[in-house]
Order: sequence, then C-alpha cells, then structure tokens
Amino acid sequence: MLGETLHNIKLLAPEVCLTLFLCLLFVVDGILPKMRTNRFSMITTVVGCLAALVLTCKVGQTPEAYFGGMVVNDGLTKFFRYFFYFTAAVSCYLAFGSNEIEKQSRMEFSLLLLCTTIGMGIMATASNLLVLYMGIEMVSIISFVMAGFKRDNLRSNEASFKYLVFGGVASGLMIYGFSLMYGLTGSLNYPQIAAYLTSTQGNLGLVFWLALVLIYGGLAYKISAFPMHFWAPDVYEGAPTPVATFFSVGPKAAGFAAFIRIFLTVFSVKTAEGNWQMINGISLAHVIAIISALTMLVGNLSAIGQTNVKRILAFSSIAHVGYMLMGLVTLDRSGLTAIIFYLIAYCAMNLGAFWVVSVVSNIRGREDLDAFRGLGWSMPVLGTCMAVFIFSLTGIPMFSGFIGKFLIFGSVIKSGGFLWLALLGVLNSVVSLYYYVKILKSMWLDKPESQESLSLSFYHAVGLVGLAIPTIVLGLYFTPILEFAERTLSNIL
Amino acid sequence: MNHLIQFSSSLQGYLAVGAILFALGIFCVMTRKNAIGILLGIELILNAAGINFVAFSKFRTGLIDGQIVALFIMLIAAAEAAVALAVILRFYRLKQTIDADEASIMRN
Repeated sequence: MLGETLHNIKLLAPEVCLTLFLCLLFVVDGILPKMRTNRFSMITTVVGCLAALVLTCKVGQTPEAYFGGMVVNDGLTKFFRYFFYFTAAVSCYLAFGSNEIEKQSRMEFSLLLLCTTIGMGIMATASNLLVLYMGIEMVSIISFVMAGFKRDNLRSNEASFKYLVFGGVASGLMIYGFSLMYGLTGSLNYPQIAAYLTSTQGNLGLVFWLALVLIYGGLAYKISAFPMHFWAPDVYEGAPTPVATFFSVGPKAAGFAAFIRIFLTVFSVKTAEGNWQMINGISLAHVIAIISALTMLVGNLSAIGQTNVKRILAFSSIAHVGYMLMGLVTLDRSGLTAIIFYLIAYCAMNLGAFWVVSVVSNIRGREDLDAFRGLGWSMPVLGTCMAVFIFSLTGIPMFSGFIGKFLIFGSVIKSGGFLWLALLGVLNSVVSLYYYVKILKSMWLDKPESQESLSLSFYHAVGLVGLAIPTIVLGLYFTPILEFAERTLSNIL
Repeated sequence: MNHLIQFSSSLQGYLAVGAILFALGIFCVMTRKNAIGILLGIELILNAAGINFVAFSKFRTGLIDGQIVALFIMLIAAAEAAVALAVILRFYRLKQTIDADEASIMRN
C-alpha cells in the first residue's frame, strides 16, 4: 500500500516539485523585504518550471493510470506538461521585464503563475471528472486575480470582473453537466464512463446530450471556442500584457488537453490500428466541423475592424483555436499529429507577437495601431521579429505556422468528406492576412510620429530572438517535431 | 400527501429540486445587474450540481464518490466567492458602483 502510494507520488513529481518551489517563495516572501525579492522570485519561478520540465522527462516512461485511475501519465500528459512549463517560464521572464507588473507585487505574480501552472498540469493529467474540475477551477480562479493585476487600472479591473462572471457561469454549467453525466453513467472515471456509453449500443437518452452540451460549454470557455469566445477580446485587452500573453497560450492549451483527452478516452475507443473511433451513437465529427468553422469565422471577421493590436491578437487567437479544432474532426493520427505540431508552433509565434505588444505598450503606454508607427525603423530587431511572428501567424510558407496549417488542412482533406472545411480554413487564412498586415504596415511603412531614439533592451531582445528562431526553424526543418508527435500519440493510454 | 412524501424521498424529487435551483441560478445570472446578484446566481448553479451529485450517489451508485464531489464543490464555491468579492470590491472602489452594465469601457 505504502509502496504503491510512493510510486503514485513519484509519477506526480513535476507537480510536487512546483509546489515545493511555491512554498519556498512563500517563506522567502515572508522573510526578505519586498524590493529585494524580485530577482530571486523570477529566478525561482523559472528554475522551478525548468526543474519540473526535467522531472517530466525523467518520470514514468510507460503510460499508466494511477491514484485509482483518477490521473494518467501518458504521452499526452507529458507533451502538455512540457508545453505548460515552458510557457510559464517564458511568461515569467516577460512579466519581469515589463513595467505593467509593478515592482512591489512581482513576488505575488510569481506565486499566482506557479499556482496556475500546477492547475494546468492537473488538467492535462486528469482522467476523472472531479480531478478535471479541480484543475479547471484552480486555473480559472487564479486567472481572475491575474487578469486584474493592475489594481488601480479600470480596464484591468473590468477584465477581471468580466472574466469572473463568465468564468463562474461557464464552470457552473460544466459541473452541472458533470453531475448529469455521473448520474447517467454511475462513474466519474473516464474509462468507466466510456464503458457505460459503449454498453448502451447507441441508445443514448436526452440527458446524455444535455450533459454533453453543458460540458462543452465549460470546456469551450477555456479554449475560447464558439459560442463561448466573447470574453477573450475584453479580457486580453484589459489584462496586463504579460498576463494576456500567458492566457492566450497556457490555459488555452490546458483546455485543449482536457478536450482532447475527453474526446479520445470518453467518447471514442481505441481501434486495433492505433486510431480512435467514436462510440456507437455518438458521431460528433460534423458538430466539431461546424464549431471549428464558426470559431474561425467569428475570430477572423471580428478582427478586421479592430484598431487595438492586443484585441486583434485576441481575435486571432480565437481563429487559431478554430484551426486547431479542425484536427479533431477526423479523429485519426494525422489530425492529432497536426494539432500537436500546431500547438508547438502557436506557442512560439503567439508568445512572440504578444511580447512585441508588451514592449510597445511599455514604451508608449498604449497598444493601438498608431502606437506601432515607424517602430520597425527605430527598433529593427523588434520590427523584424514582429514580421516573423506575423508571417507565421498568417501561415506564409517558410514559417512554422504554414507547416502547422498545412498539416491540419492536409489531414482534413485526406479523410475526405470535409473538403469544405479545409477550403474555409484556407479562405480564413487569406482574410487574416488583411488585419495582420495592418500591424506590419504601421510598423514599417508609416512615418513615426516624432524623431525619437529608441532602443530595445538586451533583456527583451534575447526573448524575442529566442522565440523567432524556432518559428523560422520549425518552418524549414520540422521532422523531429513530427516524430516527437508520433511518439506522443503512440503512448496515449 | 402520501405521493408527495414518496416523491420527496425519491431520486426524482432531489433531481427536480436540483433542476429548479439550476434554472433559478441561470435566470438570476441573466437578469441581475448587480454583481452580487450574479454571484448568488452562480452559487445557485453550483449547489444545484451538488444536490444532483449527492442524490445520484445515494440512489444511483451507492458509492461515496458523488458526496465527495459535493464537498469539493462547496470548497470551490467558497474560494470563488472570496476572489469574486475581492474583485467586486476593487471594481466598486474605482467606479463607485457594482452594476455589471457599467463594466463597458471595452466593447466591440
């Protein structure tokens, strides 16, 4: 019994490690005076995330379910853990170089960031409705605080307030859906729910569909998919830019982790060839296709008229969720490989694009298109990096975003029957070019407002170039990532 | 009267209460302008789910896991209320109101 518990805790090592770093921060915060802990808290957070990353790599090579089947440690868990810890480390580095996060409250920021990261890890490992709910709430409740981090700023408060109201309702809907699912299937563990759903031979009552819609509502809120996307632009615009950066990648990917896991282990069964098949009576391919199409359209069409760059990027992140959902339509290996590749590409390019906004916002104090005027000429590194990120987000060849879109559209076309979705995706990419290029036009073609000498600090240059390099390299040399995605998928429980 | 007693101690009775609470919660969230009112609506929704879990656990599965979930829901509701009240208080300091319609600087 004790041996088993110890083994189980060993598999949870990354979370334990993060918790220990969290405790360390708490203790040090109490001992040292405020201003002296800043550098320490950043280093601790980044080191903590990297240590968790290494532990993820070392621990539990074979896929297995533990703690009574409530959590699983498999390829998907591992991939998302790498993803979250990397994102958290980068976001922390960015936040400490931004003046939007006040110097005297940076310690609190590190604490909140680490807490959210633990929650995201739990979301990715959950194989039980209760564990998933705890993970989601851990991320959500702390996100509300992070969104309102600029305490005296009205926009930040409004963002926090909106996030809170919509988030509370969405998670309420979801837990009610969970309760119906529990009543219907008699279990909280994914495999048992799947077993019950299989045993019904396709005779699923109204209650099941009601529960499904409610659960979808909660998860769609986390990944900001249609029709629960409306909070994203307001929250991203109002929240401090480093926080918005983190939101647009971390919790969104965590939502995807939960979404993919539920899709693969609750609503589908593994076939002999290592693919997945929807359980008899549940065929959601068309539903997901329509949701993905609407999410893309809403994201791209709403972005067109916007002038605030943070808002444009928020709508673009909604559109990217639409592209990623396309990979779930076919429910085969090529689609899932494409999603994993897209997530990796999206991580680098979106973090980078938001990073540029954060730098501009620090210089000018605002984020509209006019604030970007002529910055390409006064800060060439910033302008070039932004160009790389924007081209990649649009999906122009030679950049990682193109390969991601290529793989996604390719998987959809290959499956046959969803050609319209792939065509719509291509069309959407063309539409997105219009609003993305507006940012570049402002940076490179418009004359600056006044002659001023600006220079990009080394601190930010390191981060921006560090994200621009993978964005370019993954566009040219992507086989290792594809192999990694293949390995990830063959390890799914 | 007998029917009523039978109904109130059956699974259907509990589910009906849960469903009514859920509907009231949704109604409350949709119609209230006051932030505290919206918060109360969210609490109603959470407790509706809690009632469902306990009822299913007693009548459907006979296991304790549903009741444990209900405990966790209470915990989450408390945590959420703590954060929500802090956010609302901050909002009040800045705007002198907790009317949700006033949260409208950022619009499409």
